[in-house]
Amino acid sequence: MEYLHSDIADHTQQREKLQHFHVLAVDDSLIERKLLERLLRESSCKVTCVDSGDKALEYLGLLDSQEIDRSTASSFCPQSSTQEGLKTVNLIMTDYSMPGMSGYDLLKRVKGSSRKDIPVVVMSSENVPSRISMCMEEGAEEFLLKPVQLSDLKKQLQPHLLKLPVHPKIDMTTSNDNGNGSMIIDITMNNNQNVVVSKRKTMTPEPLERRPQMKGLAVI
Amino acid sequence: MERNQMHKHIFLMRQSFFDQGLLDDQFIQLEELQDDANPNFVEEVVTLYYRDSSRTILNIEQSLEKNPLDFNKLDNYMHQFKGSSTSIGAKKVKAECTQFREYCRAGNGEGCMRTFQQLKKEYAILKKKLETYFQQTRQAGPSETACRPRMN
Repeated sequence: MEYLHSDIADHTQQREKLQHFHVLAVDDSLIERKLLERLLRESSCKVTCVDSGDKALEYLGLLDSQEIDRSTASSFCPQSSTQEGLKTVNLIMTDYSMPGMSGYDLLKRVKGSSRKDIPVVVMSSENVPSRISMCMEEGAEEFLLKPVQLSDLKKQLQPHLLKLPVHPKIDMTTSNDNGNGSMIIDITMNNNQNVVVSKRKTMTPEPLERRPQMKGLAVI
Repeated sequence: MERNQMHKHIFLMRQSFFDQGLLDDQFIQLEELQDDANPNFVEEVVTLYYRDSSRTILNIEQSLEKNPLDFNKLDNYMHQFKGSSTSIGAKKVKAECTQFREYCRAGNGEGCMRTFQQLKKEYAILKKKLETYFQQTRQAGPSETACRPRMN
C-alpha cells in the first residue's frame, strides 16, 4: 500500500497530536472526575484532575503566592523566564457549581491572568441561559451540558487539533474556506436535547501543503 | 447449554432495567466506555457512586431532622446527589431528586421528607439489582456474541 488513504493518515496524526494535548479537569464530584478522565483518555488526551478551583489555580501557577515568587525571582535575575516551571495545559474543563470557587470564578481568574490564552470549557448539569451567556461573555470557549458525552468531547477537541504544531514529517490536508479569522457562534443541540452555545475563531489557513490529487490510483 | 442460558438471563435482566425505567441512556454511555483496557469500568463507576453518595444521603437525613429546615442547604445536597445519579443513568433516582428539589424551592418540608423516603427506596432497589447484575455477569464470563443491545 503505497498511498495512505488521507482519512487514515489524518486520524493517526490526530491521535498522535492529542497524546500531547493536556487537559486540566476541575470538578468537586469524584464520579464526574472519573467519568471525564475516562472520556478524555478515550479521546487520547493527557488528563490531570483536580477537585477545586483553588487546586486548579495552584496547578496553573496562578495562586497569588506563586505569582509573587515568580515576579521576585525575575526581579533578581531578569534573565530567568517567568514561564519556568509552568506546566503546559492546553485546555481547562471545569464544572460550574463547585463549593468555594465556582467554575465561573475560575474562568474569570484564568482569563484575567498570564495564562488567559488557555481555552476554558465550563460544564453544568443545569441549562440556565443567563449562566451560559455570562460564561461566554467572560471568555469561555464553550459551555457543555452534563452529562458530557464522548461525541461532545470529540467535537470540542477537533478545532484544537488544527492549532497544535504539525509534525514535520507528515503532510496534512485541510480545507478552510474562510480567509480571515472571524468569530463563529454555533448554537447546536447535543444528545441530551439541550442547547449548547459555543464560539470559536476560524483559523487563518496555515501554510500547509495540500496532498496532490491522485486520480485513478487504488486507495486501500 | 448452561452458559448460554446465563447470558440470556443477564441480557433480559439488563433489558428489564431499561424497560422498568430504572436506568436510562447514560448507563449505555458508561457501557460504551468499557473495553479491554477498562474491563470493569461500569461496575467501578457504580460502586464509586454508591460509596460516594452514601455520605450525601446521610447529610440529607441529618438535615431533615433539623427544625426549621434549611431548604437551601437541602437543595445544594440534592443538586450534588442528582448530578451523580444522572452520571450513572439512575433514572428513577434522578426523578426523585428533581421532585425533592421542587419541594425545597416550594419550602414544602413534608413533601421533601416523603420524597426522600421514596428516593432511598429506589436507590436501594437499584443497588441490589445492579449488584446482582454485576455478580452474574462476572460469573457468566465473556459472552459469545460481541453485540451489545442498544436501547432506542
